[in-house]
Amino acid sequence: MVVVLGKRKIGFFNETVQHMSGPDRSARLVELVGPARLDEVFQAKVRQRRWAVGLVTLGIAVIGVWLMCDMLNLGGWSPLKVVELSLFVLLFTALAFGFTQAFIGFLVLAEGHEPLKITNTLDPAAPLASTAIAMPIFNEDATTVFGNIRTLYDSLQQRGELENFDFYLLSDSVEPNKVVEEELAWADLCRQTNGFGKIHYRRRRLPVNRKSGNIADFCRRWGHRHRYMIVLDADSIMTGEAVSSLVRLMEVNPRTGIIQTMPKLAKAQTLFGRIQQFASRLYSPVFAAGLNFWQQGAGNYWGHNAIIRVSPFLTSCGLPELPGREPLGGRVLSHDFVEAALMRDAGWEVWFAYDLEGSYEGLPPNLTEYVKRDRRWCQGNLQHMWFLLAEKIRPVSRLHLIQGILAYGSSPLLALFILFGTFQAAIDRWHQKTLNVQLPSALILMFLTLLLLFSPKLLSLIHLSSQSKSLRPYGSGLRAAVGVVLEIVFSILIAPIMVWFHTRFVFRNLGGQTVTWHTQTREGGEAPGWAATLSEYWPLPVSGICLGLFAWWISPGYFLWLLPILLGLWLAVPLALLSGRSGLLTSFFRTPEETEPVKELTTSYVFQLREGDQFVHAILDPFYNAVHVALQKERRNHAPAAEGYVASLAAKLFRQGPEALTAREKRALLADGPTVARLHVLIWKTPAQLMNPIWSKALESYRSPERVSRPASELMEQSHSPVDPAVA
Amino acid sequence: MAISAEYLTLLRVGINASPEWKEAWDRINDYLDALKVPEDVERQLALLSSFEQAIARKRQEPFTPATQLAFEETQRALDQTLGHLIGPEVPRDRRSVEERIRLFLTEPSDRSSSKSQVQLSDEVLEALREVRLKPTPRLQQASITARPFRFSPTGEKVITFAERVAFLGSNRILSWCLGLGIIGLLIFASL
Repeated sequence: MVVVLGKRKIGFFNETVQHMSGPDRSARLVELVGPARLDEVFQAKVRQRRWAVGLVTLGIAVIGVWLMCDMLNLGGWSPLKVVELSLFVLLFTALAFGFTQAFIGFLVLAEGHEPLKITNTLDPAAPLASTAIAMPIFNEDATTVFGNIRTLYDSLQQRGELENFDFYLLSDSVEPNKVVEEELAWADLCRQTNGFGKIHYRRRRLPVNRKSGNIADFCRRWGHRHRYMIVLDADSIMTGEAVSSLVRLMEVNPRTGIIQTMPKLAKAQTLFGRIQQFASRLYSPVFAAGLNFWQQGAGNYWGHNAIIRVSPFLTSCGLPELPGREPLGGRVLSHDFVEAALMRDAGWEVWFAYDLEGSYEGLPPNLTEYVKRDRRWCQGNLQHMWFLLAEKIRPVSRLHLIQGILAYGSSPLLALFILFGTFQAAIDRWHQKTLNVQLPSALILMFLTLLLLFSPKLLSLIHLSSQSKSLRPYGSGLRAAVGVVLEIVFSILIAPIMVWFHTRFVFRNLGGQTVTWHTQTREGGEAPGWAATLSEYWPLPVSGICLGLFAWWISPGYFLWLLPILLGLWLAVPLALLSGRSGLLTSFFRTPEETEPVKELTTSYVFQLREGDQFVHAILDPFYNAVHVALQKERRNHAPAAEGYVASLAAKLFRQGPEALTAREKRALLADGPTVARLHVLIWKTPAQLMNPIWSKALESYRSPERVSRPASELMEQSHSPVDPAVA
Repeated sequence: MAISAEYLTLLRVGINASPEWKEAWDRINDYLDALKVPEDVERQLALLSSFEQAIARKRQEPFTPATQLAFEETQRALDQTLGHLIGPEVPRDRRSVEERIRLFLTEPSDRSSSKSQVQLSDEVLEALREVRLKPTPRLQQASITARPFRFSPTGEKVITFAERVAFLGSNRILSWCLGLGIIGLLIFASL
């Protein structure tokens, strides 16, 4: 770690280095104090920071717990109250930690200069090194994926830095249509950019171990070709500048194994997407600055928009097989946190480049899709419980893992806390005891909780307002403020819905149910309809009504206390429906990525992809067919059984049409290049009466629009018109 | 080869008069549309030439469908036009695929197969002969070894305890009964 010191004073040598900044001065600093001493000072500083965060969190938690004890003390203790208090301690401490982080982040941003951050070491003159841009994909929309790669390719080309980068599209797609589409999109992308030999496409026949297996497979095949790899998600967009900066940061920080960027949400169109985008854009900076403040070189990896040093990744980050079976055991589903922990265990630093611009990602377009994604993430994070019991995991890595687990695990704890509180209130009502709490303590605790929950949002708004230039892309200060208020209302309403689903997911996983791996719907996907929403959300309003009636029976005051939760439950269905709507509240929730987007976010590319069944195109379209056949490996072993099977599939396809084959059969057929090439010729040269009408109809779809629109009489006339003798 | 306009007109009339040849004509036109060959006089001439050959073959092979003959003759014409873009080492059954790839790569500036011969420079022609659609680079294999999972001493104790009580969670009904029982007990004890 190269420490860069600015105007902040650190320790004994503050006078000497008071105005130092930039890599050259850092080198001078190392000369002055010696690397060992510098590292010692740095470690002492980090320890100080962690103690500070820990003590502030503890202080807030103690106040909260004391108030809670005071509140519950009236009327004596009961087993229910003890359990309630235990749950409160855990939940309130987590809340206090989040607040502390945001508050410190706010102070860091307000102060204006953080001396201990990785981006301080960025040297624009540092040389680049061989880097792979790796994008694992699974049944994604080819136009989006290949368009995002093209964006980065062009961006790097314009900077004249393309030669150091190779692009790898690592497909695990299994849907025949998607596979065919990807192949043509790749060939077209390479053709458009002249990127053959630079943009690579690899598809695994068997998607073993999902995304982490995909990346591991890449490392095994081409790990030695590159010093670094930048992992992107299918919806990740990065600018050439950001990517080059990451490589340069790695070059000047030789002890760093991973640098994670802070991807900003972009390209949202729906109400839900825009609210999330706005919230993330506005609130993330304070949380991110606070996170970097205490974690420093012991950061985390989020699985994408990050750079990884390949060599230590190969030697140290092989994922272990967990004890037991899925969902909680077996193969690691959510690999990123674990890889960061393993990298740290091997002695490498993991940094968070939270202020590096030019890193973006998409998000699910509506509440339902968001919840679906959470279901996968929930199982992945719960698996991390094993690593809390494992050896050689550093304390800060354990803390990251705990945070990840609590992201979902806190929901059932909160649900139990509310449930036990309600039972206790019901018991009090049963014993004719009214308002069995210390009112002043209750009010102070409520105020404190609200403060911890919402003040980070307020602090973010204050930070934004302090910079008039930053405020402009949000519309105006007023619009940003109204946006924050609306976002708070929205987040209050969806909180019970998220608690409901997270609780369900946690219990399902604990009960042994595992998730299937499906493709995430990116922005622009179809919003769910009434029927689908009702079938998914109906238990929420029903339980909301039951809880409301029960709370009213306890006392109207208790009903009012629970009203924010009840409202969320009652309105779950309309909220889910509204979340997927576009064009609502467009005056609010504006972000710089929406109003002043960088070029990389606005450019869109077109690939020569045909509409319709891509599998049929692989058979009939001369270009699709040629590209697909050329990409298939030559079959070396001519096993009669395999050849017979493929021939039977080809015959079935020819006789009965594409619908007759299952996805698996289609994959088997597509894997045999020569058979696909023969089918292409066979269908094109067979007269209509000798084959299934589906094929003759499909062949007609290739007719050019001019020939389709031309009337039959004109066609005949043209057929009879004499050819220019000169041309002849 | 110079063909008289009258002969071509007659040929077209003949093709349109026979349903079998009319279907073949439409099919081959659809194929050329799929190949994005521009619909111009050159295409018409090339087509008629292919059909002339096909009609001649039909006299020798009366039971072979016209569509098949026309497709084969058109393919032969394409082979002749695009053959120079492919190296001689490419096997016969693979040549059509390779030709189409080269057509795809030279799109959109050189859609016309007949024009490609004229417009492509020697360098491009040479490059096209060398083209192999290779999606991945040469392997430079590395190994990534999974680290075995080992419990810490505390973890060992926790897991030993968990294994002892694991039977409680092995059955879903039992787990639910147990969970609800604990809550019930808590409520009962708090009454």
